[in-house]
Amino acid sequence: MINKQDMQKAAEFIRKNVQADDFTLDISGSDELLTRFAQNGITQHISGSKTNVSLEVTFDNKTGRAMTNDLSEDSLKHIIKTAENMAKLNQPDPEFVPSEPAHILPEVDNFSANTAELTVEKIVDDIQKCVKNAESKNAKVSGISEKHIDNTFCATKNGFTGFEEFTNFAHSMTMKREGVETKVAKSVKDHAKFSMEDMIAQLNSQFDSLKNPVQLEKGRIPVILRPAAVLNWLQYLIWTFNRRDADEGFTPFTGQMEKQFFGKDFTFRSVLNDPDLAAERFLNNGIPTENIDWISNGVLKNMNVDRYYARKHNLKALHPYNVIVEGGTTTEDEMMQMVKRGVIVNNFWYIRQTDRKVGEWTGLTRDGVLYFEDGKIQKSVTNFRWNEILHDTTRRILALGPTVQQEYYAKIPTMLIDAFNFVDVTTF
Amino acid sequence: MDFLSLAMDTAKSLGADYADIRIQKSSSEMIFLRNLSLKDTMLKETHGYGIRVFKNGAWGFAHDNVFTSDAVNKTVKKAFAIARESGRIKYGNGLILAHERGYIDSYKTPYCLDPFMVPLSEKVELMMETNKTMLNFDEIKLAMFQLESRKDEKLFASTLGSRLDIHTLYIAPFITATAVANGDSQSRSFSRGGQARGWEWVKGLSLTDKAVQVAEEAIMKVHASSLGAEERRTLILDPLHMSLTMHESVGHPTELDRVLGWEADFAGISFATPEKLGNFQYGSKIVNFVANNTLEGGLATAGYDDDGVPNQKWYIVKDGILNEYGTTRATAPIIGLQMSRGCNRATEYYDFPINRIPNLYLEPGKEPLSPQELIADTKDGIYIEGQGSFSIDQHRVNFQFGGDMFWEIKNGKKVRPLKKVLYKSNNPEFWNSVDAICDERFFQTFGVNNCGKGQPGQRGRMTHGGATARFRNIRVGGSQ
Repeated sequence: MINKQDMQKAAEFIRKNVQADDFTLDISGSDELLTRFAQNGITQHISGSKTNVSLEVTFDNKTGRAMTNDLSEDSLKHIIKTAENMAKLNQPDPEFVPSEPAHILPEVDNFSANTAELTVEKIVDDIQKCVKNAESKNAKVSGISEKHIDNTFCATKNGFTGFEEFTNFAHSMTMKREGVETKVAKSVKDHAKFSMEDMIAQLNSQFDSLKNPVQLEKGRIPVILRPAAVLNWLQYLIWTFNRRDADEGFTPFTGQMEKQFFGKDFTFRSVLNDPDLAAERFLNNGIPTENIDWISNGVLKNMNVDRYYARKHNLKALHPYNVIVEGGTTTEDEMMQMVKRGVIVNNFWYIRQTDRKVGEWTGLTRDGVLYFEDGKIQKSVTNFRWNEILHDTTRRILALGPTVQQEYYAKIPTMLIDAFNFVDVTTF
Repeated sequence: MDFLSLAMDTAKSLGADYADIRIQKSSSEMIFLRNLSLKDTMLKETHGYGIRVFKNGAWGFAHDNVFTSDAVNKTVKKAFAIARESGRIKYGNGLILAHERGYIDSYKTPYCLDPFMVPLSEKVELMMETNKTMLNFDEIKLAMFQLESRKDEKLFASTLGSRLDIHTLYIAPFITATAVANGDSQSRSFSRGGQARGWEWVKGLSLTDKAVQVAEEAIMKVHASSLGAEERRTLILDPLHMSLTMHESVGHPTELDRVLGWEADFAGISFATPEKLGNFQYGSKIVNFVANNTLEGGLATAGYDDDGVPNQKWYIVKDGILNEYGTTRATAPIIGLQMSRGCNRATEYYDFPINRIPNLYLEPGKEPLSPQELIADTKDGIYIEGQGSFSIDQHRVNFQFGGDMFWEIKNGKKVRPLKKVLYKSNNPEFWNSVDAICDERFFQTFGVNNCGKGQPGQRGRMTHGGATARFRNIRVGGSQ
């Protein structure tokens, strides 16, 4: 795997040899071990290192970018020539922004030696535990364990230089027996904070709760969304969270800055120094990251802004680098007492936009749905399709559970949401 | 010694039961234009090799981009060591590879003008002209053009003695106009997806004419009514729309790895299980789905797959009945097949090949029938062109689709444009509701170049197609 010295050496070479008015160099490296299993056996097993080099150059506001996976001098000469030739042949970009100058970057620790030193033998040992657990339940388990070591480097003509290293370990698995299937997934930056025993216990708890699912009528009903479902849903909301698109009239967020557009119980932010969460020190183009409130008690505070739009409108260039959704103290049992009846959803699947301007999305439930009534789980039910306006669902939040770590970049609570719009039922 | 032979000799000396190496150089160019601003003009070139080793019924795969004998040997040894670790938790009693022989062959996508040799200025000028054409309409507030070209040069060798030299290429233009009016925004696009053809194909598309149509229809759409409450209606779907429905509801469910549960943790499994082969009524009797990895212009057409299995043509659904799957050397024997259909493909050199959808299309109707005649024969229905929202469950049964352009049909005529139309259906209801398919004169293809599948995810490609078809009694309505 390439290291910081390799990257710095490449940057020196680029700086000496680029003829263009401006340049931005991004280099990333990764080393991965990816062990995939299905139906209680390993079906795919990958190991290797990757390198990615991107050089964007500019002549008279005309840009060109070349990429390679080779840091040799011959390769760097080639991408300089390619990018410069492209820029010379291109047309001027009316939205060109010069590269970033030097910045002081925040200190963030995104690297864990525990994760970096994880061996293939240990990973296979842990998968063996998952398989043995599935066999004990006469079930089949499928999933993947992933170890990632990544580093990134950025240098610009105008003086920016930044470097950072990341690690993360991720494990996901789906256990299935006849009509019952459920999944757990988690990722951490420090493998020492990961427990396969806890994952198996969570999987078994979900699996054991799902028996002979029956079909429930479609319609609006209160729903308890567990953290995996909330995060899945939130990622799509964030995808459309763009200041320029809003200002130009394409999304539901037009004219909503600083207004109470979301439910008052909905708050999410990106935070630099949470000990469990990864946080980029800078965005790819050299913008230092900072703590960002995206939505505070339902008030829209910030959206994604690119460098051009930030400069044009005197805004900060922003991008969500991790997600913490503020939670509450309500337990799942207490949530079930708060409404007469409802369903508990482990996760969502295949979320897609159906109306960009309205902010309506569709999706399905997955990994198990439970029906509760009078404060108790009554039965497991088959999956639903839903069509919902995501920001509108935040106005129907009735209660929030404690925030828990779901991924190495996200902490999420369970949510009780009223009148979720289930528009169809599935046969399983 | 060449690296292909070195890798295979090292694998054999280590005791591999089977091994292959794929040396791959990939070039991709992406130009993205948004309202006359070039947001990206990028050329990416990567090269490297991936080595698979099969030992005692289990796989190991390692990759690198350092081309020295030492690095190649180390990579083979790493793949071998990983295969031994995989063997500690075997799939069943260990995987078995379907019978195959070695081939010495080459394949090259046929094209006239290599898009990588066309001057950038020519491509950007076309894109600018198209963008300007759309922005000339007052209510068009966003005009986009994305042009992707990709070329892959692969050398493949296996311990079966194969030596393959495969060059594939595709190009994919995509234009969109978005209109903003009356507190709404609506988009209309033109795309045939990716096509394994040269720049001459793009020049023949008349994209500036298409830009006018796209802009006019985006404006029509933003002023159109939505459909209202869901009810059972007749649908007429154009081939570009149907390419997506068949991808999701026929292509994915008939990938054998899904059927076997190998994708259970992410992409999902399939309702189309092996006991249904030869007896399950997947569609009406006029529904025939052909898998054809020899299709000219097809994105999965490459001579051979990444198992070194020759490209083939076969029926997935024949006369409405589930007939066969798309298979690989590792999946085919599990359901008792002797040979693979050649559907194992990797995207990048560092990707492990996985069971992919082949080029797959709905066979055109045998009787002469045009889309105009089909509409004239429809008393009350909705005509959908192009692709929009799509969502399907992880067993590939229940789905909901939108579209790009919608028209209400009354008494055999398109009477008004609509917006925000969604339909819901399921397998096997949907394809069993087909009562008419236009003939081969109206056959069109769409190349999917961004099919997400696998863990870690890969961006696969394949081509779909058909002629306009009619579906009866489908739940159709406005959104919400």
